Amino acid sequence: MEPAIVLAAEGLTKRFLKREVVSDVSFEPAAGEIFGFLGPNGAGKTTTIRMLVGLARPDRGRVRIAGFDLARDFAKAMSRVGCIVESTDLYPYLTGRENLLHFARMLPDGAESRIAELARLVSLESRLDDRVATYSLGMRQRLGLAQALLGAPDLLILDEPANGLDPAGIREVRQLIRHLADERGIAVFVSSHLLAEVEHMCDRVAIIHRGRTLAMGPVRELLANRGAERLVFRAQPADRAVEILSAFSRDAAARAEDGETVSSEVPHERVPEALAALAAAGVRVFGVERQSSTLEELFFEVTGGETV
Amino acid sequence: MRFAPLVENEILKLLKRRRFRVALLILVALNGLIVFAQTQAKDRRPGRDWRVEAQERVARMQNWERSGRLPQTQLRWVRFEIARMQYHLDRNVDPEAISGPLFTRAFANASSYLLLPLLAILFAADIVSSEFAQGTVKLLLTRPVGRARVLSSKFAALVVAITLTVTLGGVVAYLFGGLAFGYRGWGAPVLTGFRLTGETFDPAAVRSLPLWEDALLAFGLAWFAALAVGVIAFLTSVVLRSTAAAMGTMLAALIAGTILPRVAPSWEAQRYLFVTNLPLPDYYSGSPAPITGMTLPFSVVVLTVWALAATGVAYAVFLRRDVLA
Repeated sequence: MEPAIVLAAEGLTKRFLKREVVSDVSFEPAAGEIFGFLGPNGAGKTTTIRMLVGLARPDRGRVRIAGFDLARDFAKAMSRVGCIVESTDLYPYLTGRENLLHFARMLPDGAESRIAELARLVSLESRLDDRVATYSLGMRQRLGLAQALLGAPDLLILDEPANGLDPAGIREVRQLIRHLADERGIAVFVSSHLLAEVEHMCDRVAIIHRGRTLAMGPVRELLANRGAERLVFRAQPADRAVEILSAFSRDAAARAEDGETVSSEVPHERVPEALAALAAAGVRVFGVERQSSTLEELFFEVTGGETV
Repeated sequence: MRFAPLVENEILKLLKRRRFRVALLILVALNGLIVFAQTQAKDRRPGRDWRVEAQERVARMQNWERSGRLPQTQLRWVRFEIARMQYHLDRNVDPEAISGPLFTRAFANASSYLLLPLLAILFAADIVSSEFAQGTVKLLLTRPVGRARVLSSKFAALVVAITLTVTLGGVVAYLFGGLAFGYRGWGAPVLTGFRLTGETFDPAAVRSLPLWEDALLAFGLAWFAALAVGVIAFLTSVVLRSTAAAMGTMLAALIAGTILPRVAPSWEAQRYLFVTNLPLPDYYSGSPAPITGMTLPFSVVVLTVWALAATGVAYAVFLRRDVLA
């Protein structure tokens, strides 16, 4: 069975004055899917997210959430969504619990009963009655996540969830998001400017640049389309190695990266042969490393070399 | 989705913040200071026996009353004055002396120009802009609650906060005033309804009320003025999205309102400014109008029109504007 479409963005376009900051952006994350929205800062990610949650009105296009048109059925649509937009801003002068109660009161009945469970889920039980002003950035981020889950949403929209977190925190949040998608079937829409984050976490990804979608698809497919994985040889002398390996390489010739590193595209089944040939020619091999192509390279390619 | 929990949220946020405690502190400090200053100034005529004076006054007026030569309007006033003196003689209270209840009543007048409007601004200027400043507006407006309901809940909370402030102002004034001048005297009759018709004093509308009723009316008017200012400050908070800018604008307006009638009393159009119309309790106790020709109903209408217009614009802006903060 095809998973249900939870969020449908159709041809979203937003202009500020004359400048189009988002042009005709469409996507449809499905239930249980983690959908990455990748782009450099200023690409139009945040503006797009603001249109998804009704903070900004699109000039063209529309948003449907769980079948409800956002512009016409705002309350019904938003009752299915939990979100963190840009940064996790909560009321610093209230405690964690008061913050959660505050947002629970804005949801249909029953949200309050989830507070204890969610506090456990984001490991904030012991600090729940402290004022948020005393929380670390990571704790605020986790409280924000608990807030987003209060309404038992079908769709989670997270804008840069890793911002300001240390590596351990990032890992924790990533595992939590994966858990929510796999165990509860929540669709998660994650924006990020961090390639590694998206690559590790997302099932599908859209790459946005200057307000336009440049590529979209499952992460693996996007990467696979870019051809074979590369083998990097540490060998001396390098020029000899290049000569020999080029004969085995599929498309591009092997090339020397520096004095003793040679990258090539030798197919998997021919690696032993290539090693034997290198040895026979008197090239000394110190190591072979498999390097799968990364989203980063794809990103450079589609954006025309712009850095993230 | 019920409305009451939303209002509960907004009231919670108002009360949990430091500014509510600051407002309370201002009320206490100011009342304490004024009471202290007045206790230093009292008893300016030592050695006077007020009972003798009051009895002489009653006798004099009873003579006038019996003479039958007084016009009808003056007769009313004389009879009232006799009753007032008698009230104080019966209770053995100096009619010239200030009492806790009188102090409270005076507080209503004095605070309606600046203090209560100022406190109303303190709450209202920040109620929407603080959500923008903290970034919490993004959470507030992405709940399954329409923007109109969110703004309405803030509006309701503001009305509650202003009502609470005015009430607390009265209570604090009474507690301090009573401490210094005695807690009794709510029943004392007061003259009200003085009106200046052109240059002459018109006693036709003068009525006698017990002090508590008079004070209640004065506080009601002060509350209305504070509310009108609060609603306009609410609008600036929505439009400017910055507490400092909203406060600055409103303070400038208030200051202009106290200066303008003095430096340019002949500029008649200022009667349509909301700030000129704030001292409502003053009309009621017979002080001359800030600008000739202004009356209590006129000022109430002007304030109402301003408040309604501000509400309309605040909703229109809040419902439509993209949140990009």
